[in-house]
Amino acid sequence: MSRPYSAALPIARVTLKVLIVLNWLYGIAILALLVVLPHEQWILAEFKLSPSPDADRLIMGLRAIAVIGIASVPVHYVVLRRLLAIVETVRAGDPFVAANASRLQAIGWALLALQLLSLVVGAIADALSTPAHPLHFDAGFSISGWLAVLLTFVLARVFAEGALMREDLERTV
Amino acid sequence: MAIAVKLDDVLHDRRMTLTELADRIGITLANLSILKTGKARAIRFSTLDAICKALACQPGDILRFEPD
Repeated sequence: MSRPYSAALPIARVTLKVLIVLNWLYGIAILALLVVLPHEQWILAEFKLSPSPDADRLIMGLRAIAVIGIASVPVHYVVLRRLLAIVETVRAGDPFVAANASRLQAIGWALLALQLLSLVVGAIADALSTPAHPLHFDAGFSISGWLAVLLTFVLARVFAEGALMREDLERTV
Repeated sequence: MAIAVKLDDVLHDRRMTLTELADRIGITLANLSILKTGKARAIRFSTLDAICKALACQPGDILRFEPD
């Protein structure tokens, strides 16, 4: 029986490939920002600050956030690359393999790391933010983010069981 | 595994080849080879039924428990 055509897979494949490139560009952009950040005058002018201990604290905090941003690039790469590999196995018609369970497990750990990095960025942003100069970062605790971590680990287990069942079925005479 | 497949012995007694058995019961030679070499994880009752009919034997003639 032929399966109904779904556009989801080609769209996912192209989207993931684009995101992999964008992720590297994002890393390069943050790296460039980190190189610019030593120019304190530029930052002080952007935030309309005069040189002070508070301004130094702000610059240090922004540098720390930029470093965390760079650290997140390889973690995002792990997620995107493995997701692309899973999509390829679905295209090949054989997604219930042990390798996909391992890939989902790796994605789960990467998502967990990203959530932890997000918490750190959120904490730094909160510490730097003042009523006069509020900082808004899309970071911190996210219920949906932690649910995604949990869901990925559960899915990894489901795939591991599915792969075993598939192997049993293949060797059933 | 402690379950040994004695299909070869029964085939020898019946003077039948694995290919002939595969043709008679409609199971691929590859699948029967998996069973014969003890690489199978499971055997369907329908397969066992077909083999026993074709070889006029009992399931116990094909499968035997041999403690490790």
